[in-house]
Amino acid sequence: MTAQRLIQNFRGMRGVLWGGPTMAAETLQATLVRLGMTPVRMQDIDAQALDCGRDVLFVDGDCSLDPALIGHAGCTVPRAPAVGLVGVEAPSRLRALSDLGVTAFLRKPVHAAAVYSSLFLAVNGYRRLRNLELQLAEHDRRRRGRRFLIKAVVALMQASGMTDDEAYAQLRRESMRLRMGVEDYAEMLVLRPGASLTATDDTRTITQERTDGTEQDDACSGHGDGRGLGDTADSQGGGADQARCA
Amino acid sequence: MLFSVDGPYGVVSRSMLNGALLAIEQVNATHGATIRLKPIVVNPAGDLARYSSLCIGLLSQGVKHVVGCYTSSSRKEVIPLFEKADALLWYPSHYEGFECSENVIYTGAVTNQHVLPLADYLLERCGRSAFCIGSNYIWAWENNRILRERLAASHGTVVAERYFAVGDTDFAQVIAAILHARPAFVFNTLIGVSSYCFLRDFRAACAACGVDQAKTIPVASCTLSEPELEAIGAPAADGHITASVYFSSIPDAANVRFTDDYAARFPGGPVVCADAEAAYIAVRLLALALAATGGRTDVAEVKHAVTQVVVDAPQGAVRIDPETLHAFLTPRIGRSTSAMRFETLAQAPGPVRPDPYLIWNSPRFWTAASPPALRVAS
Repeated sequence: MTAQRLIQNFRGMRGVLWGGPTMAAETLQATLVRLGMTPVRMQDIDAQALDCGRDVLFVDGDCSLDPALIGHAGCTVPRAPAVGLVGVEAPSRLRALSDLGVTAFLRKPVHAAAVYSSLFLAVNGYRRLRNLELQLAEHDRRRRGRRFLIKAVVALMQASGMTDDEAYAQLRRESMRLRMGVEDYAEMLVLRPGASLTATDDTRTITQERTDGTEQDDACSGHGDGRGLGDTADSQGGGADQARCA
Repeated sequence: MLFSVDGPYGVVSRSMLNGALLAIEQVNATHGATIRLKPIVVNPAGDLARYSSLCIGLLSQGVKHVVGCYTSSSRKEVIPLFEKADALLWYPSHYEGFECSENVIYTGAVTNQHVLPLADYLLERCGRSAFCIGSNYIWAWENNRILRERLAASHGTVVAERYFAVGDTDFAQVIAAILHARPAFVFNTLIGVSSYCFLRDFRAACAACGVDQAKTIPVASCTLSEPELEAIGAPAADGHITASVYFSSIPDAANVRFTDDYAARFPGGPVVCADAEAAYIAVRLLALALAATGGRTDVAEVKHAVTQVVVDAPQGAVRIDPETLHAFLTPRIGRSTSAMRFETLAQAPGPVRPDPYLIWNSPRFWTAASPPALRVAS
């Protein structure tokens, strides 16, 4: 697996500050400008439009914030990387920041020399967590698809007298030819009413139907995630960044 | 004045102190001057603990403005003291950036004014493989990282990085490794006596192998200066490439006046160098700022005032960027000569804006080092 690339230059990003209307943020704002970022207040933007590729949240732990405001359905990480501003080091405040999904802290009063380090940690820690989460979701999805693969292997063995290795090799070969994950291909075969699993010609017929798009809805039934034909399981690693939280 | 005129980097520090003292004398001698500067000189002798104790002593006396420090480790050591006392450190040396203290005015060059122009020059003129050798602290680590990124972006390679403790002088093994690797150039971030010994020994080792070191494996750095060439000595002083915002050989009238005044005031040396000029600039800027505040030493007032003035420095016009408190300076590339000076090989068309966090001069993503060509098989 390719190593996570670290972001070191934050030019062009936004620092979204949450600390209520009386938040004293002169040092933080001045430092963000030095780092090439644009500071904005949370109340001045649409929180639903937070973008993890552009925004970094700075959340004052002493000022309550509803996690739902920055959360993302189905994700444990927030919509954008977040730095927790710690004033009171009480467990309740730290837990509130942790529940929001912050990946770095900055002690109040903010010291300019600590901002770059926190930003570096928050953004790169967030990216690592989010990628792990996306990989986990992908592995879950593939695990759920294994029962279709077993059914397809068994069906091929029964229909054509193949061994399990031969049946799997054929499924794998055909799925690669179609640029599909083998689980997706097996699911398509199993769920397609009347599909024959015996002959390569028959498989090609299915291939042709999918390429035409005539069986698209049927083929994708049971997925519910709207993945296209080009989104093979093997290609998910590189595209995981954009997959869900974009 | 906080300079380690003794210790491993005493030669450069003496030159820096001289530059600062010359500026003070010129300010005090100015006809109609509204301010008068009185220097208090202390010498930590390169000992980090003494930097702290001496600063505490100065600041507790009510001193508000200190010109000094050479190494980043000494600067990092004293910055908290200046922040606590709300005083101002005027830091007159080139360094590796990634810092913007509200209590420091930086008059030396940062990375986009030294190592980046040097890397571009070396890639264009020398080749794409580098052997990095440095003193084991932040200056070397960070400059090597930046050079590595620049080389990687141009499909170049760093064949090796070797670090030595400050003050180390035994380089026989690493010199053998360099001769074996035959890089296009050596990037030298050693400081003080370590650098002088390395350059002498490397030149001698190359000569023993029949290699013209300066032409075949040139040594490049962002630190080598005129007084250090004298410390290296004639047989090994020439042919080294250096990035600097100032060389004493700059032919402009302002620099001729400066070098003449310096030589007259300090005939025993050390000769003037970039860090001496940076110390000179720091004092001149301080004086201009104090004149603008009517002599009030309040840090906030002086900081504001210093961003409003321009000093006609030996290297050209210099001013302070209000956003970062770093100086606009003019990068140059030079090559040392047997006369213990530098000939200018390339020069920026004008002062370059400081970019201490490299927000305009580095890629968004960290550049990974090239994978090794060989893998451990067993």
